[in-house]
Amino acid sequence: MTPPPATADRAVRWALYRRFAGSGRAPRIAEIAAAVGVTADEVRACYRRLAAERLLVLEPDGESIRMAPPFSGVPTQHRVLVAGRSYYANCAWDALGVVAALGGEGEVVSRCEQSRAPLRIRVTAGGPEPVPCVVHFAVPAARWWDDIVFT
Amino acid sequence: MLFFRSEDRVDAWCREQGLARRPLIRLDQLWQLALAWYAERLTPAARRPAAGEMRSIFARVGLEGPFWDPAADRWSPT
Repeated sequence: MTPPPATADRAVRWALYRRFAGSGRAPRIAEIAAAVGVTADEVRACYRRLAAERLLVLEPDGESIRMAPPFSGVPTQHRVLVAGRSYYANCAWDALGVVAALGGEGEVVSRCEQSRAPLRIRVTAGGPEPVPCVVHFAVPAARWWDDIVFT
Repeated sequence: MLFFRSEDRVDAWCREQGLARRPLIRLDQLWQLALAWYAERLTPAARRPAAGEMRSIFARVGLEGPFWDPAADRWSPT
């Protein structure tokens, strides 16, 4: 029996995030369908609802994951290393967000966006170790989702 | 939301990109935002903060004013 949408959405989202966390990459739709026990079309429908709630950002094909915040489904300038595994994050905030989501210790490997000088931020149980850097928010909170990739 | 080595680098980048200089935040503030947004994200019931929660989180980190107000966030219930 097909689960009600809210239950299916939660199961799909949970399966998606567990696989992202376990592999460092966006899972394929068939993996999620098999894990949850639904069809690929049902997963696509869940993805559409989750994207409408701004919990996912999909590619135009409607099934490839561009963002499952804080994880990025595509390579970016923000890499995160946690427990020997490598992830991509969507932005500076999400780079620390990957560390926060995965237990609070790890390393962000990014860059100064203007000079392109490498930037490494180690995060321990006490938080990020001091590094000379600042974070610039180019877009007001009310406009973040006008173009979330730019944000 | 990008990292820069210094405020001078931000100013230079904004000039190069033709963008307005917007607020800067410190690494410790960003870490508090990351914890508030994402520490529970890998749990079955995780959800995105609603607009009111977003305002509270920003205020706790010392980020207040119109720039940080998600009132026009069309999805979030208010």
